[in-house]
This record gives sequence, C-alpha cells and structure tokens, in this order.
Amino acid sequence: MRIGIDIGGAFTDVVVFDENSGDLLWTKVETTPDDPSVGVIKGVESLNLDLKNADLIIHGQTLAINTIIERKGAKIGLITTKGFRDILEIQRANRRDMYNFRYKKPEPFVPRYLRLEISERIKSNGEILRPINEEEVNAVVQKLLEMKVSSIAVSLINSYINPIHEKKVYELIKKIDDKVFVTLSSDITREWKEYERTNTAVLNAYIMPKIHEYLDKIEREFRNRGFKGNLFAMLSNGGTSTFEFAKKYPIYTLESGPVAGIVGAIKIGEVMGIKDIITFDGGSTTTKASLVFNSEPNITTEYYINRNRYSPGYPVKVPTVDIIETGNGGTSIAWIDETNNLNVGPKAAGSMPGPAAYGRGGKDPTLTDAYIICGLLNPEELLGGKIKVNRKLAEEAISKIANYYIIPIEEAAYGIIKIANYNASNVIRLISVQRGYDPRDFTLFAYGGSGPMFAPFVAKELEIRKIVIPYIPAGVFSAWGMLATDIRHDLVMSFPIRIDKEDSIKIINDKFYELENRVKSTLASEGFNEIIIVRYAEMRYYGQEHTVKVPIMGGVIRDVEIEEIKRRFNEIHKAIYSFTLDSPIEIVNFHVSGIAKLNKLPIIKINKENRQIDKAFKGIRKTYLGKYDEWPVYDKELLPLNYEIQGPAIIEDDTSTAIILNDQKGVLDEYGNLIITW
Amino acid sequence: MVDIFTLEIIKNGLIAASEEMFYAFQRTAKSPVIYEVLDYAVGITDYKGRGLVAQSPGVPGFSGVLDFTIREVLNKWKNELNPGDIIATNIPYSGGTHLNDVALVMPVFYKDELLGFIVNKGHWSEIGGMHFGSWTSDANEIFQEGLQLPSIKIYIEDRPNRDVIDIIKANSRLPEATLGDMEAQIGSMKVAKKRIDELVRKYGIEAIKEAMEKLIEDGEKLSKLRLKELPKGTFEAEDYIDDDGINDNPIYVRVKVTITDNEFIVDFTGSSNQVNGSINSPLPATVSAVREIYMAVTDPHALPNAGYFKPLKIIAPEGSIFNPKKPAATSTYWESMSYATDLVWKALAPRVPEKLSAGHFLSILATIIGGIDDRTGEPFAIVEPQPGGWGASYNSDGESALVASGDGETYIASAEVYENRMPILVDRIELNTEDGVGHGKYRGGFGIIKDYIILCKEAYFTVSIGRYKYTPWGVNGGMNGPPNYCVVYKKGEKPRIIRKAAALKLEYGDKISLHSAGGGGWGNPAERDLNLILNDIINGYISIDTAEKVYKLDKNLLKDIYKKL
Repeated sequence: MRIGIDIGGAFTDVVVFDENSGDLLWTKVETTPDDPSVGVIKGVESLNLDLKNADLIIHGQTLAINTIIERKGAKIGLITTKGFRDILEIQRANRRDMYNFRYKKPEPFVPRYLRLEISERIKSNGEILRPINEEEVNAVVQKLLEMKVSSIAVSLINSYINPIHEKKVYELIKKIDDKVFVTLSSDITREWKEYERTNTAVLNAYIMPKIHEYLDKIEREFRNRGFKGNLFAMLSNGGTSTFEFAKKYPIYTLESGPVAGIVGAIKIGEVMGIKDIITFDGGSTTTKASLVFNSEPNITTEYYINRNRYSPGYPVKVPTVDIIETGNGGTSIAWIDETNNLNVGPKAAGSMPGPAAYGRGGKDPTLTDAYIICGLLNPEELLGGKIKVNRKLAEEAISKIANYYIIPIEEAAYGIIKIANYNASNVIRLISVQRGYDPRDFTLFAYGGSGPMFAPFVAKELEIRKIVIPYIPAGVFSAWGMLATDIRHDLVMSFPIRIDKEDSIKIINDKFYELENRVKSTLASEGFNEIIIVRYAEMRYYGQEHTVKVPIMGGVIRDVEIEEIKRRFNEIHKAIYSFTLDSPIEIVNFHVSGIAKLNKLPIIKINKENRQIDKAFKGIRKTYLGKYDEWPVYDKELLPLNYEIQGPAIIEDDTSTAIILNDQKGVLDEYGNLIITW
Repeated sequence: MVDIFTLEIIKNGLIAASEEMFYAFQRTAKSPVIYEVLDYAVGITDYKGRGLVAQSPGVPGFSGVLDFTIREVLNKWKNELNPGDIIATNIPYSGGTHLNDVALVMPVFYKDELLGFIVNKGHWSEIGGMHFGSWTSDANEIFQEGLQLPSIKIYIEDRPNRDVIDIIKANSRLPEATLGDMEAQIGSMKVAKKRIDELVRKYGIEAIKEAMEKLIEDGEKLSKLRLKELPKGTFEAEDYIDDDGINDNPIYVRVKVTITDNEFIVDFTGSSNQVNGSINSPLPATVSAVREIYMAVTDPHALPNAGYFKPLKIIAPEGSIFNPKKPAATSTYWESMSYATDLVWKALAPRVPEKLSAGHFLSILATIIGGIDDRTGEPFAIVEPQPGGWGASYNSDGESALVASGDGETYIASAEVYENRMPILVDRIELNTEDGVGHGKYRGGFGIIKDYIILCKEAYFTVSIGRYKYTPWGVNGGMNGPPNYCVVYKKGEKPRIIRKAAALKLEYGDKISLHSAGGGGWGNPAERDLNLILNDIINGYISIDTAEKVYKLDKNLLKDIYKKL
C-alpha cells in the first residue's frame, strides 16, 4: 500500500493505492494552515487505513512556498564576502514595471543589519585571493547569535567554483552553536550569479526551521500510528527524496504539488506508449502547462517566486520542472475594459463566492457561467450533485456582457469562451513554440476541473491531434502523481568551457563524472544503489549569454561525441531561434540527473461490465458555439470501452465534465482514460 | 467583417508576435548591452508605416524611435520594397538616437500586398568611430562616431547583400559580436514574421488590418480617458546640464507642459542650442523621452502604441539641443535625452504625486572598459549603465539601486560572470551610504558604489557622468541628492575624480570606483517619523551624526534603538 499526500493552499488531498486489492481510495479535507499535520492525519484517518500495512508515503506540500509568500519564516542572518552584503537589496537593479516611476523592487528577506561581511575572497578561477580570518568569522557569528537569529545563510563570492571558504564558515558556526540552522549557498547550487545564489540560500535558511519541525512532526505522527515504511518528500524536479534531504534543503520542495501532476501524466503516457506530452492543468483560477519530451520533464533552474509582468520576483536556482501558469481558469471573471474590449481573468471568483450560477453570492460573469449558458456544463448540477447550478443566475451575470455589446446572451457567453480558449492556447504556445517544440508533435494531457473543457478547443487551435483525459479524478491527480514518482536528484554546475579547445574534452568528462559521483553518493546515502544517470549541458555560441539545454550521451566523451553534441546544439538552437552561427560553442552549465526507480505503480484496467451506450446516454442538450445545436450527453461511468463516440458530445462524471467537438471523436480506453482525436 | 471577440484575439496575437521577437533577440544576442541591458526595442507597424500597432521596448527610452525609423525607410524606398528585403538604418536626426543603435526593418507581404513592417532596433557594441565602443564623450561631429547606414538594404529578396555586410564587418572593432547580434536581430524578426503569417493564414488579411486599426483606436481612446484624470493647466520647469563634455559651461534647458482635455503639449522652446559635444538629443530620442514620462503620468500599464501617443504634441525647435541638425555629434545623446524626461517630471511631480517621485540620479554613468584579455588574447568589452538612487515620494522613501528612467528591464551584470569573462576584479558593489541621499520627511533611495580593479596589462576606460554639478532635485522642502562621480586610482598617482573620460588608459591593478547618486527627498526632514530614523540608524543607512544634524534627533532616544533589535 502506498499513500500520496498533497497539502495545497485550501485542501489537503490523500490518495491511497493498495497493490494487493487494486483499490484506489482518495479523500479531500480542508488544509489546517497553523499545523498542517492536523489536516493530513484527519484525511488519512477518514480512509480507515491500517498504516502498519503501508510501505510508502510520498508527501508534497505548499507549506514551504507559502511560508515565503506570506513571509512567515525565521529570523535569519546572512554572511557574505566583504563588499557584497547589499547584493540582496541591489538585486539586478532592473525596473520590470518600466513606466512606473514609483516602482518598488521586491523586499529582501534579510534586513541590512543582519547582513554581515567577512574579508575572505576567492578568485574567479577558484584560487584564494584573501584567506579566511577565523577570528573575524567568529565575531560575525557571535553578533548574529546575539541578535537571536535561528538560521544563518552563507553566500560567498565565487563559491560556485570553490566552496572551501563556505565550508570553513560552516565548521566555525557549528563550533560556536551546533543548534543554529546553517545553509551554504554552494550546497544548494553550484551555479554562478551571486544575487540569484545568495537569494536561494537565504530563502532556504528562511524556511528551514519551520519545514524541519513540520517534517519531524508528521513523521512522528505516522510512526505513532504504526507506520513502518519509508517516507519521501516530493521535490520540484518531479522526483522525491528522503525526509532528511528535504529538511536540509526545503527550498527543493517549493513546487512539489503541481509537479506531481506532470509525473502522473508521464506515468499514464508510459502505459499508453506516449512519450511526448504537453500537460494542461486547468484549475479554478489558473491554468498550468508543462512539456514532457521523451518521457522526461523539462527541468530548469530559471525559477522565480512571485514573478509577473511587473515584478521580477525572487530567483530560486534549484532544479524545477518548467511550468507556465496564467490567470485563466474555470472561475476566471469576464470583464470589459475601458476601451470596450472583453477580457477574461486574471481575477477569478475562486471557490468563494464562486461562479454566479453556484448561488453563493457571486455576481460577476465567469467562464463557468458561460459554459452553462452555452450548454457545455450541466445547467442543474455539477460534481455528481455536490454543486447545485442555477442557470438563471448565470444568465443574469452574463447578461451584463450581452447588454453592453447589445448581442444575444449566448453570443456573449461564446465570446467569453473564445477569449479564455485563446488565453489557454497561448500558455501552450509559450511552453512549446517558444521553447522550440512544435505542439503538433505532442499529445495533450488535460486534467484539473477545467482542463478537459479547454482541451478540445486548444487542440484545434494548435492542431494537436490527440487529447488524453486521465481516468484519475480531476481533483486529486497531483496527489496520485506522487504515487508514481521515483527518487531523483538533479545537480547543476557552472563551468564555462569552449568545446573546441584542446584540453576541453578532459574537463568535460571530469565535470560530468564529478557531478555523477556526487549524485550517486547522495542517492547512496539515502539507501539507493541502482541508479539511472541522465546528462544535459546548457550550451551557447561563444559570446552569447543565454543557453539552450542539450541532452548529452552517457559514457566517455571523445571527439566523435563532441561532434554529435555540436550537431544537437545547432539543431536545437535553430529550432528555437530560427538560425545557427558559425561561432565556437561553449558549455556553461553541466547538469546531471540521478534517478532511483521505486516499485512501479501498476495501472489497473477498469470493469467492463454494465457498460452500454444506451445506458450511458443521458439526453440531448441545447448548445451554442456560434450556432445553435443539440449535443448528446453521456455518463462516463456507463460508457462502453473502446466505443467510438462521434462528436459533438458531452461526457459527464462525478468529478468533471469533458466535451468532444464537432469533427472530433472520443473513446474510453480499458483503463478509463478518455481519448479524443481528430 | 470579423466579430469583436475574434478581433481581440488577433490583436493579442500581434502583441504576442512582438513579444516573441523581443524574447528571441534577448536570448540569442552576443553583446551584454542587448542581453543584459536590453538596449533595444522591437515592434510591428501597419502598412502605411503610420504608427506602431505593437511594440516591446526593453528600455522605456526606446518607446518613440521605431515609428521615425519606418517613416525614414518609406521615404527612401517608397514602392521599391519586396518580400525578403531587410533594411538597416541608424541616422540619428531622422530616425534614431546614435549610430550604435541600428534599426533593421522587414516589410511583411501577403502575396503581393504589403501588410506592415517588422522592426528591431538594437545597440550594436561596435560600429567604428574614433574610440573603442563607438560612442564617446569627446566627439564633436557625427563622422567621428562610426559608420552611417542611411536605410541600406542588407538583404535583398532573402539574399544577404554581401558587399554591405563586408563594409559593416570591416568597420567594426568587434566584428564577431556585431555580426552575431545582427544575425540574432534578423532571426528574431523571422520569429515574428512566422507568427504574423500564421495569423494571416487563419483569419485573412482584412481581419489583420482591421485588428491593427483597432489597436490604434483603442490606444487613443484609453489615452484620452487617462488625460482627463490629470490636472489641467500649464506647468514649467528648468534645469542645467553639467556640460557638453568639450568645455565646462553649464547648459540651460527648460520645458513648458500644457495639459488640456485632449492634448498634452510639451514645449522645449528656450532650451539651449545644439552643442559642440556629443550630448545632443536627436528629435526621435527627445520624443521617446517624453513618451516615457507620458506613460508614467497617464498609465504605466497601457500599451505604448501610435494611438496612445496621439494626444501628445512635442515642440523642440530645430537646431536646439533637443533637435540637433547634421553634423551634430549625438553619441552620448542620453545625457540630454534624460533631461527631456526629467524636466516634464520635475514640472509635474508636485501635481501628480501618486505617479511621480522626486528627482533621481538621472545620469546612467555609462561606462566602457575594454582591452585585450591576457588570459585568452581576445578582446573584451564591458559596456554598461549603472544603477542609482530614485527620489522619495509623498508617502514613502525612494528606492535604492535602480536603473535610470531611460532604462527598464535592464539588468546589472553579475560580478561572478564578469570576473569569469573579463580580466577584472569586482571589489565591491554596495549601497552608497558614503555620499548619502536627499533627506526629507521621506528620503531618497541610495545609489551604489562599484569598484573595478583591472587585471590585464592595458585597458581603456570611457565614461560619461552627468548630475555632478546639478544634483537630483527634492520636492516640497526635501533636500537634493548628492552628485554622481567616479574616482580613478592609478598606480603612482593621486586618486582623481572624473566625470567624463574618453579611452583613458589603465594598467594592471588600477581601480575605478563608480559612485552613483542617491535620490532627492520629499518634504521637510524635521517631519520625518522617529521610527524611520531609528530604522535607518540600525541598518546603517544613515549615521547618528546625520540623524542629529539633519533630522534633529534627540540623543536620549538613541537607547531605544537597541531595544528594537
């Protein structure tokens, strides 16, 4: 038995898979922000599990990221190289909101009086320019402790190339006080760029005491209830680690929720033989998209918290699955701007007050209301009756738009749907076209409450020929994805090197082996020895700044491999940016992933009996998508397997609704996945 | 006729095409001035070249130059444009800024019909001239500032015009970077072209034209709405630019801003004539500068397109420093251009306090350090603006260490990256608490101090620094900020304060210390909240001495400070 737990902002999801019986159980309980373990335990207990029989718990959480966003972390200190204590405040000095002459940059997480300097210095080639002065370090540490910091970040210039001084500072701190939490920037990332690395270390230090305490507590709670198996923490790179690792480097867990959904999609794709996937997670307030190529998620260290069009946010240089999110979901609000144009989102009605049709006090027209008016969503009830729908209220809300443009209400509703679909397509364009991939080569995996509603339109717009709507209930897909993860660590190291130089082949081999050895020893310390290694290099033409990621072969690299690497780089550069250059080529960052496979999660075929098309048929509904029409509605639970439904059609079950457009056709496969093609 | 919702989708598609072009250029350029400083702008215009329908400037200082560029190209080539042509132009007076900024223009056709233009104007690191980096503070005519490209076809019907490209190559001290940037510029335009072609295929050419029209109409409509919210009347300001880089005389500049329900008129009449040095601001640059502040006072989040700027009228007499004639030197044009922004800002700050702060450090302390890296034998060049302090506002302190008003999503480089790529040591980058800020009820933000130590046998240093004599202005009793300056430490010589230098020779171990100014204050310092003063002392932003002298802090309160920790 394995258990996946996902603590979200509003709900905590628990999903349990019992390998012996093949049963999949799940529940959703409210998150308890003051002590999230209360909600987790409540959820687990509500399923009446015997924890003695469970061998695996995989845990994802939003506690870490919320601690940062709500600024509820520890009082921390920062130790930097002399001359650089203000780097956290200077940042990159950019004015992202460039016409705003009262622009404010993000506030640093350590105030100036807790940022102290030491006079050591490492050179850019790793040599020591000024050695460490131990007395000075001791004095600085004493001062921070006197000011009652509980956690200290250390970030020294050029530590990415030689961390020896940071390690020395660690020893000295621990000698003075072995209880205080310490984060070394070079432990978290070996990438260059001092502001980004310092900020990453600072945020780790900031959340470390809290996450440490929480993980300790939840482990105790499970052990007290007889759990004897292994506990793993979900990471932002789509893998998991031991709790020990996550306690030291909680910054690696920030995106653990959304990322698990992508892992789930990969898992289902594997069973179906689909390797190139665009995931589309349509939530209530946002849409998230990610791209999976050859069953591998795209891992990047260009990740920011709270970044948007007008704010640079906070850089976090840890391996994170590349996800693009936009404020466009099922409850996004439609509004008319000052120049009379219709917009959808980013403001959303959320669960409170929710769409107008839910009758909880929402008055604004939302996308859900538009779906109801156009007949795409059930005008009486949703989620198997859990939500009562009032079409009249939806009409009232949408009529604000219709009256403004003096058009029929259905046309206004269809306008809202069209614009929301455009927004959704744009997210997919960003994650694919802008990264050099052609979306037509991919299968769209749509999940989340609104994902299956968007998917058929988006697929048409982008000429994606196949959509998979996974069989897992929409609301707990991420938690389910956690059950399918493997142990995974990614290491990235900056070591810029031109690959055309004579001595570079040796260095390239050395760097990859160095990273591989580190990844292997991390995994070995967690008890794993059977390890799959994957290599990448972030490369560019000599003189460029930005890089593209190139998959690198394993084993020894010789001249012939170098030629192949060059070829791959040129090909990828051309695909993304439409040209190649006749310039020398440089590797900037070396990236190694180490993966230890957990026991495979079996996917069970569903019951074929009692499924007939005439039983599944629920009736005909009037729809409007540019013209009035009548669409059949089917109950997904009763649809026969492998039966081809010619669109248009609406497929409902207790957790979500899917639609099949005019010239599309849908089939329920033997696992219960709905597959739409055209 | 397409419905209003589809039109909305096409509009967004055009904006997205421009944004994709912007992103692609940043990701592939070879010069830091492009990929970090974002000294470029891209856009799409309609077929009449009448106005931009979509643009994505990396720096606000480029908001106005693209439409001049298209007009210049149309004036010269009229009906002789064909699919696959790309035209390069960099003439300051008619279409631009300084010779380093080269605009590439690609006409977009559908079948035989001209639909519009794609334009990408970017700062090329080297285009010849008297000193390394091309721009210099000691030029006195344009011929010293580099190669002039008066709307030259560099691609003719998809074929590169080899002769012209060879001329460019031969005239650049950094041909690798220059041509690499040009390729990246063209590549990014192709990305936009592909996107526009898709839109045409899907919706048809008429729908695209209609959407372009709509974008401009919407812009004008929103602009007029915003104009209604501004105070009406005539507002004036005057100031001095330190000098022209050739002699030390201050240069008088002034503005009269008239705001009515339908117009925003900015009149620079009465400002100095064009000057001998290279600080002249060509008309397109002046227009950009004014558009930038117009966005700031009306709606910083509006789309900057031709329609939005319709209510804006700019008067800058020909032959003046804000509209110089050939052969005026313009290579450090920003020194005056930023005054065009700053004058309007100064005139309006007390009247539009929720949108505008007190004066900022203004001069970008533009710096070139170049030479040969002894480690590789290859040339290197740092070309960068510096960040500084911004002014206080009516309800908050100013921001520290931000790029100047003419720069936007402009990044300062990482010390670690610089040390790896260039033979220099970055000895410190810290907030400039030495020179301080303009004090007030709310104080200005801090500038920075950045120290570079040269680690090669020989390097050359060019710098242009303004607002040394005439410092960032305070508002309503707030004090002025300190000056911008630079100190050069050469072996065996006394340290020297420098404001302008052209290719000054430096040697191994020499140090350059750049000091940018803090912003101006807002309101009387005596009214400053005690907690804010104490907080500044705790954090080392101000000294106890300053607190006593400027803020009249009672010494007995000092013991409270340490309780706060």
